[in-house]
Amino acid sequence: MRDAFISLLGKPYGIVLYQLLEATQFTIYLSLIAFVGGGILALLITLVKTSPSKIGKQIATGYIWTFQSVPLLLMLFLLGLGVPRLFGIDMDPWLAAGIALVLYASAYLSDVWRGAVEAVPAGQWEGGRSLGFSFLQIIRLIILPQAFRLSLAPTVGFMVQIIKGTSLAYIIGFHDLMNVGKRWANAPVQGTEPYIIFPIMALIYFCLCFPLSHWSRVLERRLGSVSKRKLPTPT
Amino acid sequence: MVWGNSREGAVEFRFFEIYRSPEYLSLLAEGAGLSAALAIGGGIMGLLLATLLASFRYSKIPVLRQISACYTEFIRNTPLIVQLFIVAFGLPLLLGYQWPFWGHALLALTLNFSAYFSEILRAGLNAVPHGQIEAASALGLKKTVIFRKIIFPQAVAMMYPSLNSQFIFLFLTTGIIAEVGVRDLMYAGLYIDSRTFRSFEV
Repeated sequence: MRDAFISLLGKPYGIVLYQLLEATQFTIYLSLIAFVGGGILALLITLVKTSPSKIGKQIATGYIWTFQSVPLLLMLFLLGLGVPRLFGIDMDPWLAAGIALVLYASAYLSDVWRGAVEAVPAGQWEGGRSLGFSFLQIIRLIILPQAFRLSLAPTVGFMVQIIKGTSLAYIIGFHDLMNVGKRWANAPVQGTEPYIIFPIMALIYFCLCFPLSHWSRVLERRLGSVSKRKLPTPT
Repeated sequence: MVWGNSREGAVEFRFFEIYRSPEYLSLLAEGAGLSAALAIGGGIMGLLLATLLASFRYSKIPVLRQISACYTEFIRNTPLIVQLFIVAFGLPLLLGYQWPFWGHALLALTLNFSAYFSEILRAGLNAVPHGQIEAASALGLKKTVIFRKIIFPQAVAMMYPSLNSQFIFLFLTTGIIAEVGVRDLMYAGLYIDSRTFRSFEV
């Protein structure tokens, strides 16, 4: 693979491009971890938030508020540098970046999904209750199938945010596209000046993100989406 | 007693002590001020640029429409930090100019904000029902009057909440600019951290 790139593009460019693309896989892995982990956590929070329990609702609201208002960058610093020093432990960049992104994703996703659940008409809840269904039965059989449709477009759209968010993980030493690219840009090698490397990286990120945001727009047109005003607008 | 032990003990007992040191506190406050100033400056300039971009989207010239669409898509689908590096390290080297750090940060934030804001502006303008425009032109109103008196007030009311939350979200991301050497809130935090090894409290 590496030799093919070098023979195709010549000495500095082949290696650089190969290393960038190789590092992109870690960006993708980290995004998947954040999306799957964040999704599971967000599902739990959404359930708690929509449940009849008042304390549960408050806890879920507090969780969403907290992690939406702490910048991702600060979360990364806190988990990657703060926690290890406070407890005197060694934290793997994978673990720190994973936890930070999972928390970040779960706060936003659960807010999106809460909006979708609330968009299902109240009559559906009442109908379920009058049939003698329990809370979990109503959620599973009546609400989720309808909310799922509505939440699909914003959820896919949020995956773009996650991918863009992983670009910050390099500050705690996570080995990804950003990390490798920045090292090349700083290297005194002809042909890897910052104005060449950074646009290439932007292009790679664009190729990852654009299909998703396009897909999200198609889904929104086809399935409809929760009213925009109810949702937070993660950029 | 060993050194390691006494340091651990200090961490436990003097938790949050750094907040009593006025020197560090003022550094944090200064950083917060600069963060806010850059975000607000970028927000205002971004809004101006976004108005231009949104008006391009309605232009009769196809090239302008396409340029505006491509620019918006590109900014929205790449991380702010990469844009910041292009603006702060790439362009100055390529074109041979040198600004103070906050100038690069302000430019990058303006470019970034403008793409998001122009999408919101466009969505707001599109949300005004077409029947109203037809009714207004049936009443014989001029195009500029229709825009000023009918489309604009409704669009602003619709855009306000999303513009607001977007701005908050963008403010959260501005911490990134510490990466190019601006002494903002994040920088102040890191500086204190490096001096005192008290990451968690900062």
